[in-house]
Amino acid sequence: MSSTPVAPPPSAPPPAPPPKDTFTVSFDGKAIEVPKNLNLIDAAKLAGVDIPHFCYHPRLSVVGQCRMCLVEIEGMPKIQAACTVPLKDGLSVKTTTDKVKNARAATMEFLLINHPLDCPICDQAGECTLQDNSFGYGNQLSRFDEAKRQYPTFDRTMIGPHVVADMTRCIQCTRCIRFTHEIAGTSELTFLDRGGRTLVWTHEGQPLANDWSGCAADVCPVGALTTREFRFRSRVWYLQKTPSVCPGCNVGCNISIESRDDVVYRFLPRLNPTVNDYWLCDYGRFLSEPLNDRDVHKATVREGSAVREATVPAAVDRIAREIRSSLEGKGPGAVFFLGSAHLSNEENFLLRKIADHVGSPNRDAIVDKSRPRKVKSKTVWVEGDDAGANHQGAKDMGLSPGAGGHGLDAVIAGKASPEVILIADAAFSAIADDPEKVAALRRARFLAVAARNANALTRAADVVLPAASLAEKEGTFTNVQGRVQKFDRAFLPKPPIRAAWEHLLLLALALGFGDRSWTPHDLLRQIAAEVPDYAGIKEEELEGGRLLKKGDFAWAGRP
Amino acid sequence: MSHTRYRVMEAGEARRFPPEAMARIEKILTRYPTKQAALLPVLWVAQETWGWISKEAGEEVARVLDLPPSHVDGVLTFYTMYNLRPVGKHLLQVCTSISCHLNGAESLLERCGKRLGIGLEETTADGKFTLVEVECIAGCDRAPSMMVNDQYFEPMDAGKLDALLDRLSREA
Amino acid sequence: MEKVLTARIGKKDSRSIDTYLADGGYTGVKRVLTSGMTPEQVIEEVKKANVRGRGGAGFSAGVKWGFLPKDTKGKPIYLFCNADESEPGTFKDRLLMENDPHQLIEGMILASYAIRCRNAYIYIRGEFYDGARILERAIGEAYAKGYLGEKILGSRFSLDITVHRGAGAYICGEETGLIESIEGKRGQPRIKPPFPAVSGAFAAPTIVNNVETLCCVKHVIDRGAEWFLKIGRNEKNAGPKLFCISGHVNRPGVYEAAMGLPLKDLIFGAEYAQGMKGGKKIKAVIPGGASAPMLTAAEIDDCPLDFDGVAAKGSMLGSAAIVVINEDACIVDVAKNLSKFFSHESCGQCTPCREGTPWLYKVLTRIEAGQGRMEDIDLLARICNQMANGMTICVFADAAIAPPLSSVTKFRAEYEHHVTQKRCLVGARAAELVTV
Repeated sequence: MSSTPVAPPPSAPPPAPPPKDTFTVSFDGKAIEVPKNLNLIDAAKLAGVDIPHFCYHPRLSVVGQCRMCLVEIEGMPKIQAACTVPLKDGLSVKTTTDKVKNARAATMEFLLINHPLDCPICDQAGECTLQDNSFGYGNQLSRFDEAKRQYPTFDRTMIGPHVVADMTRCIQCTRCIRFTHEIAGTSELTFLDRGGRTLVWTHEGQPLANDWSGCAADVCPVGALTTREFRFRSRVWYLQKTPSVCPGCNVGCNISIESRDDVVYRFLPRLNPTVNDYWLCDYGRFLSEPLNDRDVHKATVREGSAVREATVPAAVDRIAREIRSSLEGKGPGAVFFLGSAHLSNEENFLLRKIADHVGSPNRDAIVDKSRPRKVKSKTVWVEGDDAGANHQGAKDMGLSPGAGGHGLDAVIAGKASPEVILIADAAFSAIADDPEKVAALRRARFLAVAARNANALTRAADVVLPAASLAEKEGTFTNVQGRVQKFDRAFLPKPPIRAAWEHLLLLALALGFGDRSWTPHDLLRQIAAEVPDYAGIKEEELEGGRLLKKGDFAWAGRP
Repeated sequence: MSHTRYRVMEAGEARRFPPEAMARIEKILTRYPTKQAALLPVLWVAQETWGWISKEAGEEVARVLDLPPSHVDGVLTFYTMYNLRPVGKHLLQVCTSISCHLNGAESLLERCGKRLGIGLEETTADGKFTLVEVECIAGCDRAPSMMVNDQYFEPMDAGKLDALLDRLSREA
Repeated sequence: MEKVLTARIGKKDSRSIDTYLADGGYTGVKRVLTSGMTPEQVIEEVKKANVRGRGGAGFSAGVKWGFLPKDTKGKPIYLFCNADESEPGTFKDRLLMENDPHQLIEGMILASYAIRCRNAYIYIRGEFYDGARILERAIGEAYAKGYLGEKILGSRFSLDITVHRGAGAYICGEETGLIESIEGKRGQPRIKPPFPAVSGAFAAPTIVNNVETLCCVKHVIDRGAEWFLKIGRNEKNAGPKLFCISGHVNRPGVYEAAMGLPLKDLIFGAEYAQGMKGGKKIKAVIPGGASAPMLTAAEIDDCPLDFDGVAAKGSMLGSAAIVVINEDACIVDVAKNLSKFFSHESCGQCTPCREGTPWLYKVLTRIEAGQGRMEDIDLLARICNQMANGMTICVFADAAIAPPLSSVTKFRAEYEHHVTQKRCLVGARAAELVTV
């Protein structure tokens, strides 16, 4: 081998830095990296800088009309509407200069000169962007001395089954119009006339009646569009907000239950870009009202021909006794356990554990079909057609007939004749009011149901347990996408009403298993340990929902 | 002018473009890349067909152009030359913008109203005349300028106005 | 100056293609299409001539054309002729279209060739019913003679022109308002950028040029940029120009002159407006349409009517619409009248303009009626200052504040008189005293 020096291998070009997918933007001198596709207003939010706005909405086209989000951009002589400024590297934004303050105060003054001073009777008060921005960015004195604009016959008028319009309050931001064009795709709303006479209205005879019309009121930054259902019902600052999941269908829209003194006043959509984004369908939204309905307040037990009130533990004991006696007489096949798509994963899980404990293969879940419902996520439409939020979860928890067991259809068709039937939730199902089906279920020697509202089924039952509503319990649902979503309790049920999982835990204890201290949190841990698809699922990961198997997760904060 | 354009009046009967209007519309559509782009021209056809554009006419326009009726309303009420209610046979449009204003437009307008016994945006009982005030119609060098339907009459003075109204009144 | 744009106006049958051809019309089109002159060369010539937009903004047409993307990604390019002439005091495009339509059509053919446009439109204001009919007839003639349609004069260049009537909205003269309107929408101006040359009508590159601008293009191609640049005070303000003069002058009308014509000459010159009606004194002059700040009598001395000349006086040439106001007119009344116009014509999308224009009108109405207070005068100025300079999407608001702001500044005493004496300095509602 010669000792000729070996030329160093041609040095490989240094690996090109991966293309940056962020821009460096500075707000009031503070630089921050922001994703390239953001609007400047949202980029500012990441930097902790609030840019006040009315017309900008993250999911609607940018129109730059309200002129509230005015900022100074280095290198641009004129003031700029932040929402219309394309992000780019090195952009330097100033939001606190006198020029900016004066410009915003000017816009506020223009917005207020014709806005009525009816905040004391306006439902939007307390969550009104105009109020908030007036407080934050306006001047205190009005220099407007003219008569305020009126819109006779365009005030306090229903423009659809749910939405009430009051054009005297409108600030012409067009969010609602854009919502109907761009999200609902129904285009019921339009500007009419022009200039200072511009108003928002529908075409006569084509009301704002799409499936998401309540969202038009949601996007309204002022009280120009409100919902009939919530009008004059409560000042919003009295309302407690509880994160929950809509019980209406298996899309599982994220909602905020808004309640006060144990009464639910409304549902609002809660942002989840992967499910319902900022939206909620009217059907789901207005399920808030029936949530307050209840006529089953106490447990009842039939003794002979009489129906007597009983304590819940006594009623549960009676169920346990009947189960044991059937098991002794006829074996495990004599007992039938029926969960539902309205029960949480934890409840359906516990019901299945009871069935396992007694050895019964007869288990099922009530799932009614509904008309198809859908909602637009950030990217796609999510569709569901189950009445009830948790069909998927009921299946996942094992509420389907085991080997040699029977399901609900077989029982109703008379192909199976269980002695004891336990229906853990009699809410919301057509079965509960169908005389033939109730009669079929009633063929059992003993029929127990948990319910909130009286119906043919509760009237036929031997034991009725008073069940908590969605607002009164916590747990998880698994939606049509396979996303496990947590819902919190808004308020405690009034004793002796209890959540289904509490009834079931009492029953489990009476049948000889379980731990008195179990809560839905413990049950979820058991699910994570025992249900394969849910392996390792953790409660603290469930904000925004956790997609089973894929682990997609997103949470963007308030609009 | 002081009047709002919120309400599109109902005709009370369905509107369908007659074949000759449809033929015009078909021809118009060939000139534009989208159907919506033909909206202003098709609204003109509607106005020429019925004299004004009712709610039902707007719906007919929406139908032939595949547009939401609300969109048609929005456009219809934005542009001041579409009549949202029936107008007289002679639509008198008196310009009161600056050059006409400096040359007596107001007194012309007043004279018009007095002679016909109507106010602004009103129609004479015989259905012959409707009087409206309009913004600059580009007749400033012949101020005060006015239009009757599609025709300019300028410059106007009291005598010419009287003669014009007399002539139009005499017409069947 | 030799008449260029109006050379054929007043001649017999000036609208017909036969007289147009006899006068040497369409030779530019023939030359360009048969000589192998490239679109780029046409653009270059127009750029060189620095044909500044005659609609109001004064932006160089050639430069505007140069903003078109080289690769349109398969999208067509549109040319819109802005014939929505609505600026109070302006009536020159009406004259051009009604009397010499082929001049405009030829200008549009050349411009379309230059920018590679296949479909061009003339957006003409709805009131110009005659103008639209005349243009349609002329376009028909041009098709018949092979100047429009497929493969014009045997070249590979094809062009269709469509007359599109507006329906009563001043804002459609703003180029993006015009684009929205032609798309079949409310004429609400768009956020810029993107500029129309990049993404305009139907999301395709779009050029919007004024009638007079396009007529100038014809003459630049006929006679060359050098010739054009020699007309006027300097190369930044060159070419023949139409001036509209109206108001209290003896002979209102459209006058063609070289760019830079002294304002005083236009008002007093024997070949122009021939002085003030009744020998009255000038109180104020609006030099560029309703959108231009007023000038006082003292300011009209030494004011060349071109873009930079009027700008130097703190106003603008705009659409070259000169409105002369005599000493008998009440300036508050004038401002009120102009504010009524802007209040009526605001599209309503931006808060400051939607709310500010009617507010100005209301305050002016109050002052004019003798119900004003001293603080209202400053209020007017403050409202104005809160509306302009980026406060809105388009410059309509900047235009709308010109009359009140300039009059409050320059004629403050008259406002104060209204407030303190509760009557007009020149007698109640001077303008209304003019009877017809």
